[in-house]
Amino acid sequence: MRLAFILSEIGSGLRRNLTMVISVILVTFISLTFVGAAGMLQLQINQMKGYWYDKVQVAIFLCSEGSAAAGCASGPVTEEQQKNLEALLRSPAVAQYINEFQFESKEDAYGHFKEQFSNSPIVDSVAPDQLPASFRINMKDPEKYQIISETFASQPGVESVIDQRKILEQLFSVMNGASVVAVVIAAVMIVCAILLIATTIRLSAFSRRRETGIMRLVGASKTVIQLPFILEGVIAALIGAALASGTLWAVSYFFLGDLSKQFQDTPFISPSQTLVLVPALFALGVILAGISSLLTLRRYLRV
Amino acid sequence: MPTCCGAIRAMIRFENVTKVYDRKARPALDSITLEIDRGEFAFLVGASGSGKSTFLRLVLKEDRATSGAVYVAGQNVANISSWRVPRLRRGIGVVFQDFRLLPQKNVFANVAFAMQVIGKSRSVIRSTVPEVLKTVGLEGKEHRMPHELSGGEQQRVAIARAVVNRPGILLADEPTGNLDPTTSMGIMGVLDKINQNGTTVVMATHDDDIVNEMRKRVVELRNGVVIRDEAKALYTSMIPVVGQSRRLKDASGLDDLVGPERVSQDGTSSGEAMQ
Repeated sequence: MRLAFILSEIGSGLRRNLTMVISVILVTFISLTFVGAAGMLQLQINQMKGYWYDKVQVAIFLCSEGSAAAGCASGPVTEEQQKNLEALLRSPAVAQYINEFQFESKEDAYGHFKEQFSNSPIVDSVAPDQLPASFRINMKDPEKYQIISETFASQPGVESVIDQRKILEQLFSVMNGASVVAVVIAAVMIVCAILLIATTIRLSAFSRRRETGIMRLVGASKTVIQLPFILEGVIAALIGAALASGTLWAVSYFFLGDLSKQFQDTPFISPSQTLVLVPALFALGVILAGISSLLTLRRYLRV
Repeated sequence: MPTCCGAIRAMIRFENVTKVYDRKARPALDSITLEIDRGEFAFLVGASGSGKSTFLRLVLKEDRATSGAVYVAGQNVANISSWRVPRLRRGIGVVFQDFRLLPQKNVFANVAFAMQVIGKSRSVIRSTVPEVLKTVGLEGKEHRMPHELSGGEQQRVAIARAVVNRPGILLADEPTGNLDPTTSMGIMGVLDKINQNGTTVVMATHDDDIVNEMRKRVVELRNGVVIRDEAKALYTSMIPVVGQSRRLKDASGLDDLVGPERVSQDGTSSGEAMQ
């Protein structure tokens, strides 16, 4: 009975304030879309970092079948060459610059590759044999990359020495910058949303002051009086969050889908990965509606 | 906690209650001590600004007494935590001069509203509301809208709403203020009937005819002080209170009677009387 009553109160509140409710929905929609965009950029950065990025700085790729590099003229790397390289890595001259290193076999490389490019059709056209084995090195000081490069580039069995950070860091800084911008816009929009929700609830409380006055007099509990107002805001915010989630999913499905066909060697996040953000957006919507309505009701709807 | 209900005779008890709204002005209530017993019918009379409304607000815990203690049904309202205030108010029905009905709801829905919001079941509402409407003399008008009713009928709906949850106390703040004398007497009949059923009724009023007709207890306030408390009394005391009965004539513009009244009052209440 009480639940039915509260629901009918919510319904009439939403109908009476329809224009305001629509504006609340739109503002939360926009603000949460920006929050989600920042989230997507971060997910994308993680995706591109792949398995090794946060663990090592330098990769020494070993010669494999059909390597075209000058150092690989004698064919794929031999057991002996590989042992020599490992010994060199352990030698005091080199070891002083290195925290630790790991060996990634062709099989390991294939496993990591499959994971990183799980959303890309390129996975099907690559076999374990085509991926080079490598030593992955964690530097004490990443700036000393040059030393490792000079030492190993000319060793037999080495295809190339790559400083992965150099390649990706610029791109990541652009993407991080973009997500900061998105977060700032989101923050401003969230302030708008909170103020708008507060105003909407204030109007709603004003237009229903007769009812709430009588409810107070006959001894309705605080919950029964205030819950309809809070839930109105929450419902509007949830609709906004749903729209934002839909938008993000559409962006990852259509836009990133196209991009991943154009740039096959770049791993993109999949639409299903975007869905990770959905619960967060809904929670954020509920929290901002809840906070603003609590603050408003304390002032404008005395019980 | 005071002991159980049987021992409590006073439904409303004020002990040296003072209420100050504005430190610079005189108190709205000035150290009032007063008891209203269970089942009693009491009129609260006095000029505007004499403290009648403040009295009612303190009973409802709409305001907090500046000093002194207000007991309702044996409980000191100052000790009622804010989340228990609704329970206090469920035990008190309130009726106003301006009815305060919900214009978009019909008679039945207006009365049922008071039960819905405290979570009464549909079946209880369906059986109780017609019963109460019968008590206030509105049988057969369940489906009328408020604007289709006369003032007297609207006030009956408001009374029905106030008593539908069977409160122990009914507070009426000038319930006949907007009604003609005949209709007013009808309303008084309803209030009397509710009182006969055991509800304590406190009615603030300016209506001397009604008070004289009913011959109930009269508590007269002036400037926040009880200046008279008589059983089976009249609106004006045997000892005349200057200016009381002239107030209406004053408001209707008979200037020749204003002079002596102004002299008898301080600036504030005279100003309010002019409104």
